Amino acid sequence: MRLPIPKRKTVPGVLASFEHIDAATDAIRDLRARGHRDLTVYVSHPNHEIEDAMGHSSSPVRLFTLIGGLTGCAAGFGMTIWMSRDWPVLVGGKPIASIPPYVVIAFELTILIGALSTLFAVALLSLLKAGRKIAYDPRFSDDRIGVFVAARAGDAGALEQSLRAAGAVEVTRAA
Amino acid sequence: MTTSAPELPDFAPKLRLTQSHADVTRDVVATLQTPSRGYYMLLFGAVALFLVGLLTFLVLVKDGLGHAGYNPPVMWSVYITTFVFWVGIGHAGTLISAILFLFRSPWRTAVYRATEAMTVFAVMTAGLFPIIHIGRQWIFYWLLPYPNARYLWPNFKSPLIWDVFAISTYLTVSTLFLIFGLIPDVAAVRDRVKGWRKFIYGQLSLGWQGTDTQWRHYSRAYLYMAALATPLVLSVHSVVSWDFASSIVPGWHGTIFAPYFVAGAIYSGIGMVLTLLIPLRKALRIEHMITDYHFDNLSKLTLLTGTILFYAYAMEYFVAWYSGNTFEQTTFFRRAFGPMWWAGWTMIICNAFVSQLLWFRKIRTNLTSLFVISIFINIGMWFERYVIIVSSLSNDYVPWAWDNMNPTWADWGILAGSFGWFGMYFLLFARTFPIVAIQEIKEMIPMPRRRAGGGHH
Amino acid sequence: MADEGPTQTLDRRKFLTVLGVTGGGAVALSGCSTSKVEKLVPYLVQSEDQVPGVPTWYASTCTECAGGCGVHVKTREGRAIKLEGNPDHPVNRGKLCSRGQASLQGLYNPGRIKSPMLRSGDSFAEISWDDAIARLATEVNKAAGRVAVLSGAGPGTFSDLLADWTSAAGGTMVRWEPIGHEPIRAASRAVFGIDEVPSHNFADARYIVSFGADFLDGWLSPMEDQRGFAASHGFDGDSARFVSFSPRRDLTGLNADEWHAVAPGSEALVALAMANVIGGAGAAGGSLSAYTPEAVAAQAGIPAASIVRVARAFAAARPSLAVAGGAGNQTRGAVELATAVHILNSVAGNVGRTVLFGSGPTLGDGYEGLARLMGAMDANQVGLLLVHDANPVYALPKSAGFAQRLAKVPFKVCTSLYLDETAAACDLLLPNHHALERWDDARPRPGVVGLMQPVMEPVFQTRHTGDVLLQASQKAGGALARFSAPSYETHLKDAWRSRATGDFDTFWIEALARGGIYPDASADGGSAAATASAPAAGTPALTAALPAFDGDGEFVLAPYPHPFLHDGRGSNRPWLLENPDPVTKLTWHSWIELSTATAERLDIRRGEIVRLISPHGELEAPAFPYPGLHDDVIAAPLGFGHTQYGQFAKDRGTNPLDLVGPPGNATFIPYVSTRVRLEKTGRFKELATTEGNPRQLGRGIAEAMPLDAARRGLTVRQAYIEAGHGKHEINTELEMEAIQGWRDETIEARKLGNYATEHPAWGMAIDLSRCTGCSACVTACYAENNIPTVGEDDVIRGREMTWIRIERYWEDPAPAAHGALDEAGGEHAAEGVTHGHPEARFIPMLCQHCENAPCEPVCPVYAAYHTADGLNGQVYNRCVGTRYCSNNCPYKVRYFNWYKYNERSWPEPLHLQLNPDVTVRGRGVMEKCTFCVQRIRGAQHQARVENRALRDGEFTTACAQACPSDAIVFGDMRDPDSRVAQIRSNPRGYHVLEDTNVRPAVTYLAKVLHPAEA
Repeated sequence: MRLPIPKRKTVPGVLASFEHIDAATDAIRDLRARGHRDLTVYVSHPNHEIEDAMGHSSSPVRLFTLIGGLTGCAAGFGMTIWMSRDWPVLVGGKPIASIPPYVVIAFELTILIGALSTLFAVALLSLLKAGRKIAYDPRFSDDRIGVFVAARAGDAGALEQSLRAAGAVEVTRAA
Repeated sequence: MTTSAPELPDFAPKLRLTQSHADVTRDVVATLQTPSRGYYMLLFGAVALFLVGLLTFLVLVKDGLGHAGYNPPVMWSVYITTFVFWVGIGHAGTLISAILFLFRSPWRTAVYRATEAMTVFAVMTAGLFPIIHIGRQWIFYWLLPYPNARYLWPNFKSPLIWDVFAISTYLTVSTLFLIFGLIPDVAAVRDRVKGWRKFIYGQLSLGWQGTDTQWRHYSRAYLYMAALATPLVLSVHSVVSWDFASSIVPGWHGTIFAPYFVAGAIYSGIGMVLTLLIPLRKALRIEHMITDYHFDNLSKLTLLTGTILFYAYAMEYFVAWYSGNTFEQTTFFRRAFGPMWWAGWTMIICNAFVSQLLWFRKIRTNLTSLFVISIFINIGMWFERYVIIVSSLSNDYVPWAWDNMNPTWADWGILAGSFGWFGMYFLLFARTFPIVAIQEIKEMIPMPRRRAGGGHH
Repeated sequence: MADEGPTQTLDRRKFLTVLGVTGGGAVALSGCSTSKVEKLVPYLVQSEDQVPGVPTWYASTCTECAGGCGVHVKTREGRAIKLEGNPDHPVNRGKLCSRGQASLQGLYNPGRIKSPMLRSGDSFAEISWDDAIARLATEVNKAAGRVAVLSGAGPGTFSDLLADWTSAAGGTMVRWEPIGHEPIRAASRAVFGIDEVPSHNFADARYIVSFGADFLDGWLSPMEDQRGFAASHGFDGDSARFVSFSPRRDLTGLNADEWHAVAPGSEALVALAMANVIGGAGAAGGSLSAYTPEAVAAQAGIPAASIVRVARAFAAARPSLAVAGGAGNQTRGAVELATAVHILNSVAGNVGRTVLFGSGPTLGDGYEGLARLMGAMDANQVGLLLVHDANPVYALPKSAGFAQRLAKVPFKVCTSLYLDETAAACDLLLPNHHALERWDDARPRPGVVGLMQPVMEPVFQTRHTGDVLLQASQKAGGALARFSAPSYETHLKDAWRSRATGDFDTFWIEALARGGIYPDASADGGSAAATASAPAAGTPALTAALPAFDGDGEFVLAPYPHPFLHDGRGSNRPWLLENPDPVTKLTWHSWIELSTATAERLDIRRGEIVRLISPHGELEAPAFPYPGLHDDVIAAPLGFGHTQYGQFAKDRGTNPLDLVGPPGNATFIPYVSTRVRLEKTGRFKELATTEGNPRQLGRGIAEAMPLDAARRGLTVRQAYIEAGHGKHEINTELEMEAIQGWRDETIEARKLGNYATEHPAWGMAIDLSRCTGCSACVTACYAENNIPTVGEDDVIRGREMTWIRIERYWEDPAPAAHGALDEAGGEHAAEGVTHGHPEARFIPMLCQHCENAPCEPVCPVYAAYHTADGLNGQVYNRCVGTRYCSNNCPYKVRYFNWYKYNERSWPEPLHLQLNPDVTVRGRGVMEKCTFCVQRIRGAQHQARVENRALRDGEFTTACAQACPSDAIVFGDMRDPDSRVAQIRSNPRGYHVLEDTNVRPAVTYLAKVLHPAEA
């Protein structure tokens, strides 16, 4: 059975590969300055210089974490209290629904659901961009930095030039 | 085109961060090559032990728990002891991977993957014991809150239910945390291998390419996971300690238990980390990545937690005396001089005293001595739980009911099985996935620049 | 869990057949023989005396000892499931000892002979009853007058028939009880000229002195004597002092306020010295002059002063009571001892007041008769020997040589129910019905005739020996032809016609319903129908001196009857084997006792296996250093070392009788007549004991208070403060207020669902001043609640399942030593108690049904929870077996099923004894005392059916029901008029481990201690 994933269409553009971080960041800044918005940068590790160059706002993941955590906490207290009142059973002369022991459950659920929703957020947010097929090179997971610029065939030549000038060790065209 | 040498961070020499990104990738992927005969012999041993445990368990299910050395009033013994032991082991992993991450301590990167894996497998092992030790193992799931024919929900006042939630949360979160951290590395491996391996790792990498968007969400999420895992790890062993502390058994009923157990857990966990890493780095030829510097830091942590334990032991005895409570006093008197004196002193010597050797730098940096000490720690921490559980139960309120227990083959069988089960998974992991976090090491090694300077931190 | 229990073996078809038989009358299927099933048809008309699910009770009489207690047999679906005392019966007043209750395990015993058998070579072959009876007839004729009968059956119609039959067959019958009381009877002859054993009125005695009479271990009339003792010694404004002179402290001795370890055999001298002090040298015809306290003190090894003191107090208290005789003290001087005590009682004026003639037990011919029979056997004058209800091969010392003489008899017939040692040596086995399967009666004493009726269909292909005799007589013809009754039942009825007043049938039915004819329990005061006169004491020739002992060993061997196994007849009953001996708390195996001082001297540890050697034999057994023993004595229980007698008894332990010399021409068996040497083997055995640490370590578990404090109505606490060690209050006023406020709040927060409405609050009160530690409650609990016996190995691992246990603590009179032991807190601190005699404190420990039960909140699945009427419930089906509840129980009264005990504890047909009202617990679940919730609910349903409120005392728990001392009271604490509510307000009342604030529902009344006499 085939999964209902939409056919990913290849994005035309230019793929440049850098060895030097400063060269890459310069290139990125330059491209953005020249109005290129559709950039994709590949790097083997989280690199804040590139983040700065890309000028991303901070990820909305935290919102999911917060909501997840609060939901878990509420669920914890709600479940324990409702369940003990659903069929009242007296144990150890304690109140039927006694809050202190239930704090533990609420706490654990806060963590659990918080963590789950965080990862869910990452998956979700990454999927938003998974619709398109963008050129990639295995070396990007090693020691190269990749910069892909979406461009129509017309502009591609100029781009290649400027990227080489910016210090790309290798530039290919993806159509 | 000229290339200036990358400027190195100040801790670089200790970490020997001389290699390039390419070297890192190569060296780590190299650990996944076809392993030696020694590895297979270890694996075989682990599986054999596991089968011993499995067999023992089947006998217990068939005839009942009577085969184990239980001797009322000692209703819990080796199984719960081993349960707490393994839960404790887990804690070091999360401490290193989450807490030290938040503290941004550089030396964690090389070791955290191994310890995190240890955590997951230790908790997997621990999770078996609540099932093994109950009288009717086949209905263990009655502890879960699900709509059932009994129209009955579990009793959330019971510490055992807290356990269920704490342990399962801990297992879930630490597993996800491990897998999450693995994704970029698996992708890296994917791009280095060929054939069916490529396909497998390709599936496992979940389409990771390391684009700026992926990193953007990933880094954030990793931070929050760490932030969540930190209180979790502290809570889990606190909850486990409340299995005892919230009872009225003299020797269990102590407010000191939560911090005392957490410290003990980390202590025992690092003990196990040392036991595992010292041979592992040699076997995988990554001595240049896991260095003396790491072991020195691990030792310091051990020393700290060991000293906290020392204090906790002393405080237990002090409070027992100071409380003027005859039950507490008898319990602790007999813990040291009763029929189980030998276990009591094993625990105190192995934990409180042996750890103090780590004040000496020479011992800290000598891997042989460290390894020996780590073994003492493992033994000592197992006995700590054994003493707390068995000796406290064997002499509580009504003297007429006092009695002592002696473990039997059924106890040892399950204990051995648990080590087999744990070892099996750890060995399989070590040669299937990068045991050193590629992307995080790289993060610390600056990329080459065309111009000197310019990079900002 | 029931689905694992043997109760499930009762499938629908069998169930119908059960009803079928009961339709036929008061008989039912023996759940294990399918051949019967074929004959039975489900009935169409419901018989009025059987309602499925509702028990039917039958009155009967206990035959376990000569006491002749009246019992009520509870049957369900046509099976006897429990024995309880008959409340109207003057002997036991509704109470029943462990042995009596275990009669049920005699009925369903796997060791029973299932059908008649004939010897073929070394083994037996089953034969039909017709062949068996034909064979008996021919053999009787062949024996031609050389017939002899040895019967242990108590006096009654059957005994008469047997005697009559024997003489008709031209032989003689000997009636013999292993532990008979011949010496006392001989003494009565000598002193009063009455050929009788007196009965004793303990209830009225204000001062009791015992010279080794084990009246709390099953002496003359166990239930009656214990009830009387509890009445006089238990505290109700005052308490009679009880002094014991004996080499060994048996259970009776442990209940003494004062114990003197006299040299074995010197008891008689002490008694005479006391008489001398009281009556002056002139008394009893001046024969006492030789026995001055000084002269005696040296021989007895106790200070003369205490003899004088006890004698004076004994005389001052009126009436007082001195008792003597008991197998454990039965030296060659036993008659002299009994004589001395008779004299002592008469000089103190007790005869006719506490020592009653004319109402004592009717004894057999004693050893004299048996000796005569053995002589005849020796001289080949016996051609056929019929042994009925006796096991001489085991119960006599080997040196008496019964087995060898038995071998000389050409044809031996045995009617024993079990394949015991004697049966195994016989040629023809004609297994008799069990007492619960047959028609019979018993005359335990003048004025009391107990009736027995079949309460169910026989379990096996057995036949009433009475019927066997009658049928054999018809076959044999000749002189025997006159025994022509169609059945023993008719013979019995005919025998009873003389007793009938008015219409026989109504009389018979009434007699059956009452379980016999006897004076009303309420009519007589305290003791049996006292037709007692006060006979004057004659002047017997007194020759009391230290008796002689065979052998030259260092120690005198004192075999004593085990409180439960008695002479060994109880050894095939798991209840009696697992219920620990009240004194040593040992189970399942034999042991030898030596004084702790001796043990220290010879460096013999607890459990060390030692070898005892006498001129007559030797044995090996683990040692139990016991603080209640004279240093020159080694004591050992009878009842172990069977070589036959079923799977439970066979090859279990060793029998001290193997060391005892032949009685010779004595008129009784001098059990204590041999000296033994002791050798160490260096080997050890782990003792199967239920004893943990026998020290209270000052934790106030079994509390006690001085007599005068109790008289002044002080509370335990006040008594402590008076004695100068009061506990200080931990909380301040303000804190107490806060705690109270918090408590009220929680109580409000509990009121939800079923807990919002009013319910009774079940509670219990246990009076430690009455409890003697006899453990009848334990056996009752085993019977009522289907508690499995776990066997020796698991008892060693502390896994016994007794829902109620009797803890026996040693309280050292010397506080210093006590403190020292506190420090050590060693498991076996009892070994340390050598100097001064430790006081024994008995306390029944059972689930306290705490209001704030610590076991409940820790259960993850609500298996342990609190019912609205204050019970601490345990739901087996919910239990997953985490055992946390047990860890958190301060009283350690929860018990876990480590193995499938439900499948191994009741080998067929023992499982038929199971109580259908109580679940049989499966492996892996926790269980505990339920306050007999099945009885509570049963009574509540009954009340609802009759549309009335529950009446206090209309039902009670099994333990309270059985307690011969009436120490346990159960009821609704919320009802201010209930007995339990009133007793709980008794100043002596206290809760065990009160400081844990678990608020138990069981209140104990502190034991009352007599001060040392000045």
